[in-house]
Amino acid sequence: MSRYCISLLFILLATVAFGQSEPIDLNKKDTVIYKQPYGLRAGVDLSRVLVSFLEDNYTGLEFVGDYRLTQKLYLAGELGNEKKTIGIPLGNEINDLDGDLYQFTASGSYIKLGIDYNTYGNWYGEQNMIYVGGRYAFATFSQTLDNYNIFNTNRYWNPDDFAIGALQNQEFGGLNASWLEFVVGIKAEMFKNLYFGASARLGFLITNKDPENFRNLFIPGFNKVTDESKFGVGYNYSISYLIPLYKKAKEPEENELPEQPLENPEN
Amino acid sequence: MFYFLYSFIHLRPFVDNMKNFKIGLIVSLTLILSFSACEKDDICIDADTPRLVIRFYDVTDTTEFKDVQNLVVRGLLPSGPKDTIPNAALDSIVIPLRTDANETSFALTRQLSIDDVNIDTLTISYEVKEVFKSRGCGFIVNYDALQATVKTDDSVWIQETRITTPLVENTASAHVKILH
Repeated sequence: MSRYCISLLFILLATVAFGQSEPIDLNKKDTVIYKQPYGLRAGVDLSRVLVSFLEDNYTGLEFVGDYRLTQKLYLAGELGNEKKTIGIPLGNEINDLDGDLYQFTASGSYIKLGIDYNTYGNWYGEQNMIYVGGRYAFATFSQTLDNYNIFNTNRYWNPDDFAIGALQNQEFGGLNASWLEFVVGIKAEMFKNLYFGASARLGFLITNKDPENFRNLFIPGFNKVTDESKFGVGYNYSISYLIPLYKKAKEPEENELPEQPLENPEN
Repeated sequence: MFYFLYSFIHLRPFVDNMKNFKIGLIVSLTLILSFSACEKDDICIDADTPRLVIRFYDVTDTTEFKDVQNLVVRGLLPSGPKDTIPNAALDSIVIPLRTDANETSFALTRQLSIDDVNIDTLTISYEVKEVFKSRGCGFIVNYDALQATVKTDDSVWIQETRITTPLVENTASAHVKILH
């Protein structure tokens, strides 16, 4: 029995010696290649759908989409249609349609194209985005001046309300506008390939074809146009689905730091 | 907003990453909502429908202002005269014109004594030009191609009317000169 044990010990020692012939590599390279999905993400803006249901004076729909080009860069765009009726209240009966100084309806379509740049460093397995982006946007639309009154601080001839304008229901067609948009947004993968997103947009008007004797006060896709200002703000809340087309390995980042040693390994 | 979000995300060692992302998402949604609410006021301060300025001159010297004694001006509608238009001076008056018609009539009363009351009817005709001014003010009216006529009766105190400015855009200067 002892002889058996001793011979076994020798065999085991030899095995240990053989195993120790090479030094243990403590900084071994990770050979598992991490691949990320690339593809086309398409969806719809939930806020425009919701507001269309909730408000009588608005109908709108916006499709959103992006196509991943590189690790951080996406080709992105929006396509939409909006119709909004706006009343400017100043008459005697505020909160009533009759109290509006004038009321108009803007209706038309827009397209926005540009890029999104993801600034968020995802952890393993994550496909989220916190991005900044730019767009060039173009809209064609028409405006209808539904009704209007003549603003006059003198109430001698019309003591009760403003006088009604002569040409009601004027339609101004063939209008267009283009603008640049700065986008800040977020997209989070809530379920496999299903993304929820939100973005805020700051638009800067480049061209704006105003109708004769009226002004474009609302441009589809751009939102409210303020007097003597070229800026506009907008937002969307999107839900989109990623159609994965291919997978590509994540390129290693140059500035990625090696793992820091813990300050108190005992604890 | 963006940097705030970014720093939020980089509290990695403390909170689970996905949870952090969701917190950031909620914060950003709230911020986006508050961001879209910043808009300029829609109060009208820069435009108004102008009124007509009439100045009274001496018929013997057409450069001299001449007071109309106890001048009273009323607007006339087919249904009858309206209230007196208040005037600050006797040698001029600022009167509103109707925006919904192409002419407005006024009764101009000169009273020299208790018994000597002379009422002349002045009719101003014009073209109504509706002009869109701004978001807050909407449309105002300018009057163009101004014409003034005095209804002839037994005793007319207004000798002559002259249009000095045929386009009424503001009340800075007189539009109609009345000689008496």
